[in-house]
Parts: sequence; C-alpha cells; structure tokens
Amino acid sequence: MAKKIVVDPIPRIEGHLRIEAKMNDANVIEEAYSTGTMWRGIEVILKGRDPRDAWAFAERICGVCTTVHALASVRCVEDALGIEIPANARIIRNLMAATQQTQDHLVHFYHLHALDWVDVVSALKADPAQASAIAQSISPWPKSSVGYFKDLQKRLVAFVESGQLGIFSNGYWGHPAYKLPPEVNLIAVAHYLEALDFQKEIVKIQTVFGGKNPHPNYLVGGMACAIDPNSDTAINIERLNMIKKIIDETQTFIDQVYIPDLIAIAGFYKEWLYGGGLGNFMSYGDFPETNLNDFKSLLWPRGIILNKDLSTVIDVDPRDTTQIKEEVGHSWYTYSQGADKGLHPWEGETKPNYTGPKPPFEFLDTDKQYSWLKTPRWKEHPVEVGPLARVLVAYAKGDPMIKETVGAVLGKLQVGPEALFSTLGRTAARGIECKQTAGFMGHFYDQLVANIKAGDYKTFNSERWEPSTWPKECKGFGYTEAPRGSLGHWIRIKDEKIDEYQIVVPSTWNASPRDNRGNSGAYEAALKGTPMVDPSKPLEILRTVHSFDPCLACASHVFDMNGNEITKVTIV
Amino acid sequence: MKKINIVGLGNILFGDEGFGVEAVRALEASGSWPESVQFVDGGTQGLYLLDYFESCDALMVFDSIIPVEFEPKVYCYSKEELPAFIHRKMSAHQMGLSELLAVAKLHGREPAEILLIGAPPHDLGLGNGLSEPMREHLERAVAMGREMLEKWLAE
Repeated sequence: MAKKIVVDPIPRIEGHLRIEAKMNDANVIEEAYSTGTMWRGIEVILKGRDPRDAWAFAERICGVCTTVHALASVRCVEDALGIEIPANARIIRNLMAATQQTQDHLVHFYHLHALDWVDVVSALKADPAQASAIAQSISPWPKSSVGYFKDLQKRLVAFVESGQLGIFSNGYWGHPAYKLPPEVNLIAVAHYLEALDFQKEIVKIQTVFGGKNPHPNYLVGGMACAIDPNSDTAINIERLNMIKKIIDETQTFIDQVYIPDLIAIAGFYKEWLYGGGLGNFMSYGDFPETNLNDFKSLLWPRGIILNKDLSTVIDVDPRDTTQIKEEVGHSWYTYSQGADKGLHPWEGETKPNYTGPKPPFEFLDTDKQYSWLKTPRWKEHPVEVGPLARVLVAYAKGDPMIKETVGAVLGKLQVGPEALFSTLGRTAARGIECKQTAGFMGHFYDQLVANIKAGDYKTFNSERWEPSTWPKECKGFGYTEAPRGSLGHWIRIKDEKIDEYQIVVPSTWNASPRDNRGNSGAYEAALKGTPMVDPSKPLEILRTVHSFDPCLACASHVFDMNGNEITKVTIV
Repeated sequence: MKKINIVGLGNILFGDEGFGVEAVRALEASGSWPESVQFVDGGTQGLYLLDYFESCDALMVFDSIIPVEFEPKVYCYSKEELPAFIHRKMSAHQMGLSELLAVAKLHGREPAEILLIGAPPHDLGLGNGLSEPMREHLERAVAMGREMLEKWLAE
C-alpha cells in the first residue's frame, strides 16, 4: 500500500513550501506534489503606478533577491519605452548582478544547503589535527592550523551545550544518510562561519553602486550613481580600489574554499545520484556586452535543452506569445477566458481563487488545485531553470571556460558529464557557475575602469525620462538570470501608467504544480525515484529541494506567530 | 563613542508588516543624531543583515513580530528577555531574528545591549501603509526607542 509523507514547511528556504510525496513499500518516492502555500500579489500592487517607480516596489517582493527584481523591472520599462542605457550603466548593472549571484551562491551552499550533507554534531567528535591535515591537503587556504580547528571546536561545543542551537536547530543530526567523516564535517562548519563573515564583504559592492544596501537604488535610463575620479562623494579611485580588492578576495575564497569543499563533500556522496528530474533546461541568458537584444553578446548564453540532449540548444523567445504560457489548472487562480488555457505574461491575469481545504488540513486534493504558484511552461514543456540550466546551456554551446571548469570538477570527482543530471550535479553546477561569474566580476571591473580612464563618466540617459515623450500605449519585457534562475518581468504601459505587470520568477518554473496535461514540475519530477532511509526524517527530500535553492518569499508575510513553524512530517 | 545600530525589519508591501521599517524612518526623522548611530531599513533581508547585528555596541530592532493573540500594545524586550521570546521563527525569511542573534553569539560578536520593540499586527493585507491601530502603536514605539537611544547616547 502506498504511504504518504508531508513535509510542511520545508526548512531553511525563503518563503513557504510544502511537499507531499507518495512512497511505495520500499520507501521509494513514486509521486511528489509541490505546493506554494503563500499568495504573491505584487502584480496587483503595481497596477496604476508610474512605471519609473516599479523597481522600488519590485525589489521589496523578495527577501533576498532585491537587486534582481529591480534590474528586471528597469529593463522591462526601458524595453517598453525604447531607452538605451549608457555603457557604464550596463557594466555597473552587470557587476552588481554578478556580485549578487556570487554572494547568493556562497550563502546557499554553506548556509542553506550544506547542512543536508554536513552533520554539525558529528564535527564535535573530530580530531582537529586530522582536520588540519585534510584541509591542508585540499587547499592552500591559510586558516587550517590544528589550533584553528581546536579553537573552533571548543566554541562549537559551548554553543551546542548552551541548548540554543539557533541556526542548527532544524537538522537531522545523526541521520544514517550523512556520510562525511567527523573531520570533514568540522572543516565544513569552519567554512560555514567563515563564509558568513565573508559574504558581508561582498555586498559592499552593492552599497557603492546602489547608494545603499539591502535596497540599492536603480534608475530607469541608467544608474543613479555618479562617476567622478576627483570627487569625495562619487564613484572615485578610492572606491574603485576597494571594489577591486573585494573582487580579488571573492575569487580567492571561491577557488580556495568553496570549490575544494564542494569536491571534498561530493566525493563522499558519489553514489547518491538521485534527483535529476525533468532533463529539460532553460536559460534566458544574461550579462550583455552590448545590449539585451543582442543575444550573441550574453556572457551566460540563452537557450533550451530538452531530454538531456546536449547536442542541440533550441532558441527561446520570451516575447513570442505562443512560447511561454502560465497555466492555472492546478493553481488557486482563475482566468477570465477559462482556467484550461495558458496565458502569455503580456496577456496574463492575477485573479486568486482559493478552492483548497480550510486550514488546518491533512492533505491537499492534488487531482485538483493545490498551489499558489502558477504553472509556467515553454511550448507546453516543463523546464528547469537555475545554475544547472545555465551551465548546461553554456556547456552545450561550447563555452570554453565553462567546459574547462566542468571538466576539472568532474575530473577530480572521477565522474562523467551524465552525473550532472542529479541533485549533486545541481549543487556542483552552482559552484562551477560561482567561479565563472566571479571571473566576470573582474572583467566588468576592468571594462568600467577603462571607460573612466577614457573620460566616459556617463551613467544615465535622460532622453525619455519625461512621460510626455512616451507613446500612449506600449509593452516591454525585461529579463535577468537571477541566482535561482530565469526571471522575467512583462509590462504594459498605458497613459503613462502601468496597465498590466506580470512576473514569472525562477521558483515558479521549478516549484510549479502539475500542468494542464498532468506533467510534473521540476521539484516534483526530481523527487520521483528517491529512496528514503527514514521517512520520519526526510533528509533526502530536503537535499533535492534545497539543491534548487527555492525562494518562494516573493510575498513575505509574518506568519505562524504561535510558534508552530517547526516543520511537520506526517506519514500515513 | 558607543556604536549604535537601529534596524527596522518587515515588508512594507504588506500593511502592518512594514511597522519596523516605518518606525526606524520615523525615529530617524525625529531628531538629528550623531554619526555613531546608523539607521537601517532592513526589509526582509535575513542573513544579509548580519553585519548590522555584529558591528555595534548597542542594537535596537523594530519589528511587527508580536503574536496576534497578544493584547494590542507596544512590547519591549531587553537582551535578557529575548531568548525566551524569540525561540520561535517569526517570519517567512530563511534567517529570522533568532538566527541572526545566534550567529552573532557564535561569532562572539553579540552586541552588549539589545532592545526589541514591536507590536502585534492588525492587518497584513496587501497594500500601502499601516492600519489605524498600528499607527498609534508606532508613535508609542518611536517614543520608547527615542528614550532608550538618548539614554545610550548619554552613557
């Protein structure tokens, strides 16, 4: 008889996600259902506003991805109004997006995902001398002495003994699916703490260019920051030097800490190759070297891969109203023309229509509507977005740098490219991408400095700032590759105001429910076939779901104020 | 001079959830403050706010994290009272207040003084601004924060 397991909410993610899974007698997952349990209504807020202000609202819709929503928003407005931004603005935006991606990947790996592989409590039993020897054998990173690990272990013991585990309170410590020796666990915990410290440095780049953080300033037509090498208040030599230093340190941290840790940890889990899922991947591409419509200039290329076929990369056109459509057959929304047809975002509607059970409830009726997420599809295909999709599209297109890094990581693990189609492959792809994007940060910095040296300080194009210069009606599309995947903002402007605004976020692609043809979304497909060692401690589900870096907080509510937030695992 | 960080948490898009951010803005606007005081619109940035939690001697946090079934008034918790109160996760963010403070402690960089000021939300509906009852709490919360801030500055 099939057993059912419910994990609600999935811990250590942004927002609120619930997974229901059916298992067979051998505790292997046969079907999985992914539910976004919060309603996201940003589109409703934006209607009727000045399109030049949209970014400021958009950057509030997510708990972590402020800068990517602001970026996609100014891009869609500029696209609609036909505004070309100065080269410096393009470069600064690229640098800020690359900074965000790099920081986000570090935080994801160490603080949201590593604990699915690393047993913190086991680190208490480690021999610091052995940990030091292992650390020194895998990396030249200087913080690796016996004394360093001894001291860290002491602090960790005191912390665990205090009983307030805080950040470590949600782990399934001692679970048999943990495979790392205590010493590798100790190294990982040390780097967990170092990465926390380090990510604080990286964001200083956002503060310099965005004026402030965590909510940097964007501007339709360019960037709001002034460049003047001789001014105390503008982007000057001193600030540029600081940025250069941060970029260099970021690259060192990734090369000497992140990548060696990734390889060391993955080496103990090589047999755990579950979680591949759909085998369909999509990337809009990002980091334009000329402009956003010159797709050949995108440093992360654009394209679609179907059925794991790396010999063919298919074009994707998010403006083509026949390609990307959002369906609501299994979502708590309704469409005025009927819920059975998908709508392109330019024709999109946001009409909530909750038909689920009244909480508290045990199960959702997954044959009907069961999520607050819509179901985006590309030509009716479910696709996965995110680092694995970007790395595969770049790899399939023959990007030499990506081929080299992928080859080096896979070579060290002694596995072939097929290993990428897995939970671990997704996690490895994030590290590979992080290294590549940190390299781009240096490239953008060099471009900016060269422009400034040549006397080009321009960051803003004011030609179309005044609404009187706008057409009466127009529409635009803005895209970016957010850390979690392809992000699109579609806008319609009428009489100087926002008439319609639709956002399709990466986690909607990945966490979507079934489509109108009954096909699973990316999480749902990835969980199928996964064996569970102990269903009451569903570590394996967390591993695979976390490998996508879920972010469903596009509407963050205060919730569960009664202390009921502790993840419930129900097995029937 | 004592370094003081004043951080407002919450999402201004969701009615009373914006309480913390609004309170910090109001407190900042209510006087002229020395450079040693930093006012931060923290939004819902969780972990990314760690620097603000670890880089000061005294930390004041405003947030609408008080359970809804509590009597509607302004609550004020000192560092000693916090652990009992914030064991629960109070928001949808991956790292809430309790996690940030735990990490600061693990790093050995917990501020010497911490004050949390909050009120139970009344309306979390999508839209602009605070509800009428929450506006009244805001005035009281800002006055309480101001009093403590002046005391910290005088020490």
